[in-house]
Amino acid sequence: MEDYHKPDQQTVQALRNIANRLRINSIKATTAVGNGHPTSCCSVAEIMSVLFFHTMKYRPDDHKNPNNDRFILSKGHAAPVLYSVWVEIGFLKESELMSMCQVDSTLEGHPTPKQQFVDVATGSLGQGLGVACGMAYTAKYFDKSSYRVYCLLGDGEMSEGAVWEAMAFASYYQLDNLLAILDINRLGQSDPAPLQHHVEKYQRRCEAFGWHAIIVDGHSVEELCKAMSQPRHQPTAIIAKTIKGKGIPVAEDKMGWHGKVLSKDMAESVMRDIQSRILNSNKRMYPASPIEDAPPVSLRNVRMPSAPNYKPGEKIATCKAYGMAVAKLGRYNERVVAMDVDTKNFTCSEIFKNEHPNRFIECYSAEQNMVSVATGCAARELNIVFASGLATFFTRAYDQLRMAAISDSNINLCGSHCGLSDGEDGPAHMGLEDMAIFRAIPTATIFYPSDAVSTEKAVELAANTKGVCYIRTTRPETAIIYNSNEDFHVGQAKVVCQNKEDQVTVIGAGMTLHEALAAAEQLKKERIHIRVIDPFTIKPLDAKTIIDHVRSTRGRVITVEDHYYEGGLGEAVCSAIVNEPGFTFQRLAVAHVPRSGKMSDLFKIYGIDRDSIAQLVRKMLSSSANAK
Amino acid sequence: MADYHKPDEKTLQALKDIANKLRIHSIKETCASNSGHPTSCCSAAELMSVLFFHTMRYKANDPRNPSNDRFILSKGHAAPILYAAWAEAGFIKESELLNLRKIDSDLEGHPTPKLAFVDVATGSLGQGLGAACGMAYTGKYFDKASYRVYCMLGDGECSEGSVWEAMAFASYYKLDNLVAILDVNRLGQSEAAPLQHNMDTYKERCKAFGFNTYVVDGHDVEELCKALWHAEQTKGKPTAIVAKTFKGKGLKGIEDQDNWHGKPMPKDRAEELINDLLSQIQSPNKPLHPQLPNEDVALADLTPIRLLTAPEYKIGDKMSTRKAYGVALKKMGDASPRVVAMDGDTKNSTFSDIFKKAHPDRFIECFIAEQNMVSVAIGCATRDRTVSFASTFAAFFARAYDHIRMAAISQSNVNLVGSHCGVSIGEDGPSQMALEDLAMFRAIPTCTVFYPSDGVSTERAVELAANTKGICFIRTSRPDTAVIYDAGEKFEVGKAKVVRQSDKDQVTIIGAGVTLHEALAAHDQLAKEGVNIRVIDPFTIKPLDASTIVANARATGGKVITVEDHYKEGGLGEAVLSALGEEPGIVVHRLAVSRVPRSGKPQELLDMFGISAKSIVAAVRRTFAN
Repeated sequence: MEDYHKPDQQTVQALRNIANRLRINSIKATTAVGNGHPTSCCSVAEIMSVLFFHTMKYRPDDHKNPNNDRFILSKGHAAPVLYSVWVEIGFLKESELMSMCQVDSTLEGHPTPKQQFVDVATGSLGQGLGVACGMAYTAKYFDKSSYRVYCLLGDGEMSEGAVWEAMAFASYYQLDNLLAILDINRLGQSDPAPLQHHVEKYQRRCEAFGWHAIIVDGHSVEELCKAMSQPRHQPTAIIAKTIKGKGIPVAEDKMGWHGKVLSKDMAESVMRDIQSRILNSNKRMYPASPIEDAPPVSLRNVRMPSAPNYKPGEKIATCKAYGMAVAKLGRYNERVVAMDVDTKNFTCSEIFKNEHPNRFIECYSAEQNMVSVATGCAARELNIVFASGLATFFTRAYDQLRMAAISDSNINLCGSHCGLSDGEDGPAHMGLEDMAIFRAIPTATIFYPSDAVSTEKAVELAANTKGVCYIRTTRPETAIIYNSNEDFHVGQAKVVCQNKEDQVTVIGAGMTLHEALAAAEQLKKERIHIRVIDPFTIKPLDAKTIIDHVRSTRGRVITVEDHYYEGGLGEAVCSAIVNEPGFTFQRLAVAHVPRSGKMSDLFKIYGIDRDSIAQLVRKMLSSSANAK
Repeated sequence: MADYHKPDEKTLQALKDIANKLRIHSIKETCASNSGHPTSCCSAAELMSVLFFHTMRYKANDPRNPSNDRFILSKGHAAPILYAAWAEAGFIKESELLNLRKIDSDLEGHPTPKLAFVDVATGSLGQGLGAACGMAYTGKYFDKASYRVYCMLGDGECSEGSVWEAMAFASYYKLDNLVAILDVNRLGQSEAAPLQHNMDTYKERCKAFGFNTYVVDGHDVEELCKALWHAEQTKGKPTAIVAKTFKGKGLKGIEDQDNWHGKPMPKDRAEELINDLLSQIQSPNKPLHPQLPNEDVALADLTPIRLLTAPEYKIGDKMSTRKAYGVALKKMGDASPRVVAMDGDTKNSTFSDIFKKAHPDRFIECFIAEQNMVSVAIGCATRDRTVSFASTFAAFFARAYDHIRMAAISQSNVNLVGSHCGVSIGEDGPSQMALEDLAMFRAIPTCTVFYPSDGVSTERAVELAANTKGICFIRTSRPDTAVIYDAGEKFEVGKAKVVRQSDKDQVTIIGAGVTLHEALAAHDQLAKEGVNIRVIDPFTIKPLDASTIVANARATGGKVITVEDHYKEGGLGEAVLSALGEEPGIVVHRLAVSRVPRSGKPQELLDMFGISAKSIVAAVRRTFAN
């Protein structure tokens, strides 16, 4: 065990000076732009100083260097102090800081990866630690490297359950390379935080969740240096008792100062006062260089080595095809990793686990944390991540998904058991809003494969597609409808069934595509021909193919989906064909909270089965006949 | 303090017998449906027996009686044993149990309030305790009644953060009428739960989160009777009973074994397993009756709640709709003592603090735990005990979307209010901007979505929401905008307002909130050029007033422009497209935010993302160019 060497007095003074300069710049910047949270910055000034100029090892001129220690500002509203650190380092100009939050500045109100030194966006509280867990897991188990991960949290966000999901995860996986610093500054936005300055309660909670927890005076540079240097055998929490607004006499430990900037006059006098505490020190602080032991990683061109091995007509569930596809992709790239929330036997991610046990992370029933861990693992393009769960439980992590888009994250998610096809388990387990929420993620690509061949292609495409990719899979077995050599592209639909005499175009996906095919068979006996389209991706949707084919079926189009009416396939098609003259558009979808029952009964009751499709086709044709 | 009296041997044996009867029912039910989770029922058999036939006070023939103790089965997949308990209590027929999960039975795969003894739907794990907190808070502080709240959780769901949000809440508010029972049966769905049978760790976690905690043998009825008795004597703290149990307990060769989650007993083994359990039952006919409750709760007053006075705003007054929400909520609180409010430590931003100042006893600070806040709101609203309004930034309801989804299945009447929508919040940047909330709430089947555009309509939205069944969402904005409606204006759900019109209108603009005001500015600007446009305020986005929109679209030559401070998917624009779906000859242009936005001044961002007056004017001109 290495001994702790107390930093010399010069170093201590230099760190104090830096802390005060961080305060000055945080105050100056927030006053200059009239916006921000200077008091939340002041409580962490010493913590940031010690972290960036004493404890962390990184190359300040090479932010994305894989050997660097990582830092996540989970309390994202303290962004100005983070920016001030990078001014102190010399990476940012002070003038840039003074125009933060402006429409032409890359320094936003909360950190985003527009800045190189930010790996993930923060600002929705309680999300940083989960991301840090993903990074620390990657360091320890995938990279097997010595870089460490530091995460700074506020006390207000300790009320978020997501924090405790991450705490449990970190201790379960013995992430001894992870250090969380809790800035216990007592005050929240509109009230004191529930535990106020009871640091011993925080300590007890952290310890109960398996962490080594140290209480320190968060304004003592010496105490911070010592606590951060302690050897670790488990994740460590530094519980720093601090004063909100420290250094601003009128605001110190006072309510009513959250997110308030100082007036120009007040700022000037406070800054003079803080400046006077900066003592002359010749010591210039430089961060220590990291140990260069991270492996090189390339995620370019991750391809399946061979075509899918399914035969037309063979029956297999798309959820199973997903598991097999990810396992196959993992065979040829060491950086394909997978995770699940104790549903791996449903989502079939256990196929991956069985083949690649060292690259599978069981996240247990904690969906928020799984998405954060996925985001953390994918940061700096170190892993191609596939995270799976039941489709409906991604609703639990929708805030994390929303933030993943702001983080420019490239993660792949798979939701199984979508829609009524979950049957007897009932509405609690049926994903009927998942397309609506993923469509409203600006960086999302939504795959909705309808057979095993297209599922395998979807997995391969997702691995190579930027942004958040979502793959919607289904529980029941369905027939293979594509040849193994069929080519698939994002945003390219397939016409599955067509004939010169087609009178209506029907668009379905997953189970409803198979229902549409069955309806086509049924109608054929009545000499009614319909064209059936598989959109493959719901976002982006192949508007051109759809419009072309609807035109050739005299403008008649029906969508049918195992999803609520709002925000899914139907509205996507609606958006794509709007303003096309002469189109007649009808939709079939689930209109009410459904119930338990056999899938076939449910499809009938909620009107998305083959009979409902056939009936609507007939109705559409007879009413257009009447119109003539 | 009273002394604990051990129940007599006969009672203890009867409780053991009931536990085994519950096991037998659970096996039979799941065999009949050929799906379900019998092993998850068997671990909880003694817990259920003691709760329902020894500890809890309730009227078995009147499950929704407001004086009854409450029970929430957070581990909803153990539904068969809940149904079995109510069969033993005599509320449902034993024969009905065999219809579990059938299309025409209310005994669904997971509990829903179609059943009178279920207050909230469960089945998405980790949500029961938060709802239980809302019920216990209501019992203790609003009803000031003696009913108690019991919540049974599985060990797997203790990985959900929302459980720990609820734990922190319960101890902070000293909910000594709340008991959480943890069924630690070691095994999850696909593998063992992370803490396995590490009872000390569960105990330390519960204690650290402020619970009076007992670790017990969950299959020992006497230990359970005693611990639950102690729970009742404990003041100032909620109690956690951490019960060590075995999954599939009582099922030979299955107990504590992997790979039995969610699997009914094989047909060829069921009989033998049942016979084995039957042989342990000593007095099959000894009936135990639950104790009756203290009747110290009044029936809920279901009369509509109306504002006592009309809104006091004048046309042209400037104020934000978020502030108007706070004023309106306070006035609703004046009108009825049933109105309660809660917030996630944003009350000075959402302006729910105006309510808090006037009615401090009816405000619950939920701190930064949005999932739990929504659960608490749902719990408070059960059995019509309160009309609850929960507010935070609209973006942060994304955090609670699973809970909101479940609230629909729960038939909850909760009201949610999201402030700071869209890019118009400005400098704080995208993490604080709600741009997907309309998509979220529109996809909730029972939801009414209000999007008021001034102080008067906000006040009416709050009044309507209080009296509208299902989930209500009110979207409020940060910037100050002008009052555009007369204080006497009447508002209805699903009824749009035509805000500007003339005989010569050439295009219809539909906007809401900030973008309605941008549309009004565009109207004035275009009017100077001699171009008239019609402006519509939809007031509710769901239901949307399709007939008003269609009629006005026709009157303006079929030309429509929607403009919204929301992403293009799932919001106002797509709602309008859906409404106009089958109308021939209508052309819709949509203005919405099409990529992740950024920090900046509100007006700059409205321009940058193409939803300002300038963008509307340009779109109108483009419409003519075509």
